[in-house]
Amino acid sequence: MDDFEFLRDVTLGQYLPGSSVTHRMDPRAKLLALGLLIWAITSVTSYFGNFVLVATVLGLIVCSGLPLGYVVRGIRPVLPVLALFFVFQLLFAGNYDPTGSPIIWRWEAPLGPLPVNFTLTVSSLRLSIVSIARLFCLLMVTSVLTFTTTTTGLTHGVELLLAPLRPLRVPGHELAMVLAIALRFVPTLAEELERIMKAQASRGADFGRRGRLRFIQQTRQLVPIVVPLFVGTFRRAEDLIMAMEARCYVGGRGRTRLAQLEFKPRDWLALSVVAAYTAFMLLFKFPV
Amino acid sequence: MAGIIEVRDLWHTYLRGTPLEAQALTGADFDLAPREIAAIIGHTGSGKSTLVQHLNGLLRPQRGTVRVAGLDLADPGLDIRQVRRLVGLVFQFPEQQLFEPTVGDDVAFGPRKLGCDRAEVRRRVREAMEAVGLGFEAFKDRYTFGLSGGEMRRVAIAGVLALEPQVLVLDEPTASLDPQGRLELLGTVLRLRDERGIGVVFVSHNMEEVAELAERVWVIAGGRTALSGSVQEVFWRAERLRELGLGVPQVTRLMGLLRERGLAAPTDVITLDQAEAAVWTILNS
Repeated sequence: MDDFEFLRDVTLGQYLPGSSVTHRMDPRAKLLALGLLIWAITSVTSYFGNFVLVATVLGLIVCSGLPLGYVVRGIRPVLPVLALFFVFQLLFAGNYDPTGSPIIWRWEAPLGPLPVNFTLTVSSLRLSIVSIARLFCLLMVTSVLTFTTTTTGLTHGVELLLAPLRPLRVPGHELAMVLAIALRFVPTLAEELERIMKAQASRGADFGRRGRLRFIQQTRQLVPIVVPLFVGTFRRAEDLIMAMEARCYVGGRGRTRLAQLEFKPRDWLALSVVAAYTAFMLLFKFPV
Repeated sequence: MAGIIEVRDLWHTYLRGTPLEAQALTGADFDLAPREIAAIIGHTGSGKSTLVQHLNGLLRPQRGTVRVAGLDLADPGLDIRQVRRLVGLVFQFPEQQLFEPTVGDDVAFGPRKLGCDRAEVRRRVREAMEAVGLGFEAFKDRYTFGLSGGEMRRVAIAGVLALEPQVLVLDEPTASLDPQGRLELLGTVLRLRDERGIGVVFVSHNMEEVAELAERVWVIAGGRTALSGSVQEVFWRAERLRELGLGVPQVTRLMGLLRERGLAAPTDVITLDQAEAAVWTILNS
């Protein structure tokens, strides 16, 4: 029984060391490839096309040497939201179907003057199923990026990709630093949360019991956790500022790097493969 | 005498079933007799904190047994709050868990959760605060976040004591306290045992502290119990302790150096007073 193990569910910002092709790719190439894949994922509406996309994403996880079960389990925290989303779309999206596709099922609930209708049409069914597949793919493909890229690599990549926009006053380095700090502290906060919950449980707090209509009590139970968590976060932020000041941090200007990123032939190759794949997914007419 | 806490062959793996899993305990043993003061020492990452978190059921045994006052922590039907009431655990840097604006309210958190009435909460808060050397009237309405670090730590310990546990477990209680605060805290621990008869388990990296306070020492290394026994028995084995990345009290080391020089220094010296006596004996002979 692991009553307090939160780190188990936190896969965001987690990096799994490895030596696969994906691990070795230039972060910039990975970010661009991610952008292309997201384009493909959000554009394909065919059932078959989405099946291909899910298969591709799962294949990508395996090829990156990541444990499939662990990565897929990363979806667990959002599962309730996904389920709710799916049910609502299935029941109500058909009410406002602009495509005029044939109705599969319709029920007008006899609830007095307020019209409550449930409609399922061919295209609303498609919408419901495809959007779940899309969200799954988006989550998985981003996980592949964060699992195979160190936060330093990722932020360096973001910074360099944004560098051409510097004349337009886009603060690339600062944005990358914000991203780095945010990602860096996700596991730290999860650990801190675990520690505080354990400490409060040791002095009588009780987080286990759940009950209906006890939401006020349940919210009050959060006070002993949230207050120390905030206090700790502010303290941590202050420490971080001090540490950055002490090392004379002045932003990106004039800053050099020990490890220079280098776009190798294999990055061009990988990027072209992904681009070709995306083009294919966008242009090919899938049968269903 | 039956132990109030009994740990046998305890195993624990963090993040089990993920690529990040880490073995923390690989067969640790531990015992605590009633009214006993025991120290747990070990290198950083040896599994001390993991062991300590089993003592009040924050972690349940994955393998092996943990018994607290006869209650088996592996039993899924066990009401774990019962165990937490018997064993009070004070985390490392406990001042970071305070959340109420005033000291009195913060200490009262536990008793209120237990459902005590006003008078009982007041009594428990008063006793707990006085036990750690914070005057009830002087401190109960003080602003929590305006206290010094040492005072905040004592408030946090009072918060656990207010549950009136039979065993107090402290994870590195004196870390980053000044010498004065350290002495006061150690005095508090001794007084709690002598006056209230509660057992104490503490984790420490400070061998002087262990020598002065503990009656039994448990050395954890690589997730298992490497050595255990009375303070003399453990510190006598300086070689083995050094292998495990641990030291002995400075006076024990001094006696060893004197022996190397051919003087008749005793081997069982662990506190300053004993060392003083031993040095006088050597000088007079």
